[in-house]
Parts: sequence; C-alpha cells; structure tokens
Amino acid sequence: MTSIGAEPAIVARSDRTTDKLAIVMFGGTADKFIPLGVIAQAAAAMGSEVNVFVTGFALLGFTKTHHELPFPTEFAAMAPALAEGMIKTKVAPWDTMLRTARTLGAKVYACSMMSAVMGLAKDDFNDLIDDVVGAATFLATADDGQILFV
Amino acid sequence: MDATPTIIDSRGSACPGPITDLAMAYRRAKVGDVLELWATDPGVKADVRAWAAKTQNELISLDEQPAKIVARLRILRR
Repeated sequence: MTSIGAEPAIVARSDRTTDKLAIVMFGGTADKFIPLGVIAQAAAAMGSEVNVFVTGFALLGFTKTHHELPFPTEFAAMAPALAEGMIKTKVAPWDTMLRTARTLGAKVYACSMMSAVMGLAKDDFNDLIDDVVGAATFLATADDGQILFV
Repeated sequence: MDATPTIIDSRGSACPGPITDLAMAYRRAKVGDVLELWATDPGVKADVRAWAAKTQNELISLDEQPAKIVARLRILRR
C-alpha cells in the first residue's frame, strides 16, 4: 500500500480557481480523440473554461453522418487490443467524455474555413458542435489562456 | 461538527470519471457541505488533491482502504 500522506507527485502550478483552456483538435485519427475527451472532461471538472476548436480531418468525427475514424498505420495493429482494454477498464468513449465536458460548460466549435473546404454546413454537424466560427473568433475566445494542439 | 457527508460512489470508474463525479456533486453542493468520494482508480489520490487546491476547497482526509479510496472534502467556496 502506498503512503497516502505523501505529497502529490504533481503540484498544481497555479492558485487560480478559474482559468481557460483552449484545445485545437486537428488530428483526425481515432487515437487523438481519446486525449481530447479526457483532457476536456478533466479540465471542465477542475473548473476551467474549456473551448475546443475542431478543424481539419477531425471535423469528420463530428458529423451526423458517421465516419469510421482511422487509426494511424503504425498503431493500427494495436487498435483491437486498445478497444478491448478500454472496455475492460471502463473508459468512456471519447464522445461521451466530450459530452460530459459540455455538461460542465465546455464549448465546441467547428472551423468555418475547413468546414467550407470539406463541404460541411452547420446542419451537417451533430449536437457536440456548439457553433461554426472563424479562427479569429476562436482565438479571441481562447484569449490569454493555455492552448493545446491535439 | 461536520455535516452528514454526501456519498459519491465512483468505484469502478476510470480517470477522469471520479473527479468528474466530484465536480458534478460540487455543482449541487452548498458551502459547508461535506462530500465523500469513493473510488478505485489509483489516480484519484493525486487528482483529488489537485482538484481541492484548484477549486480552493478543503481535503479533510484521504484514506486508502482495502477495497476503495475514500476522500472527504469540505466545500468552502462555490
């Protein structure tokens, strides 16, 4: 049994109670959606204002028409074991985690330019997308908070 | 005298499930309430400290029992 009195390995760097986290979701492969869900949900649970900006091929994970998200070739062989492990460990699917983050106040925006390039209108997106906005709007929303690029 | 704790049973839930269940209960809690989080994910020990520090609430105790980890928190601010 580990000592519960020990100091945590990672100490919160900030004593701010509210702050901002912006996540630019660019990667369109299935593996990248897992950290998107985990970080968005955890940050929202910690009381942070969370804004997600979805662009590039990642937009295909947010359409009403289901797209099977591919795994990167180098990890494709491990995908079935990962899926099995996630079920066994009871890790929620990424979209469930993002939905939970939204319940806690997170906002998810689709990039207007890439949506247009890919022929996607606001109506083509599912209920995870709050709005379709431009990069300037997103950056203004992100303000002086941290930005993660996934 | 502590208020009767509100039990949050997150046993079997993987990270970031327990801390999310805590955040959900926090939304419904009032100042002075005591929340008791039950979890089996070992990450909860560090996470609950981080959550309490971040939200400026008090971690009263963190107890690692044979079948579960029990964290008691007092809500100091909303």
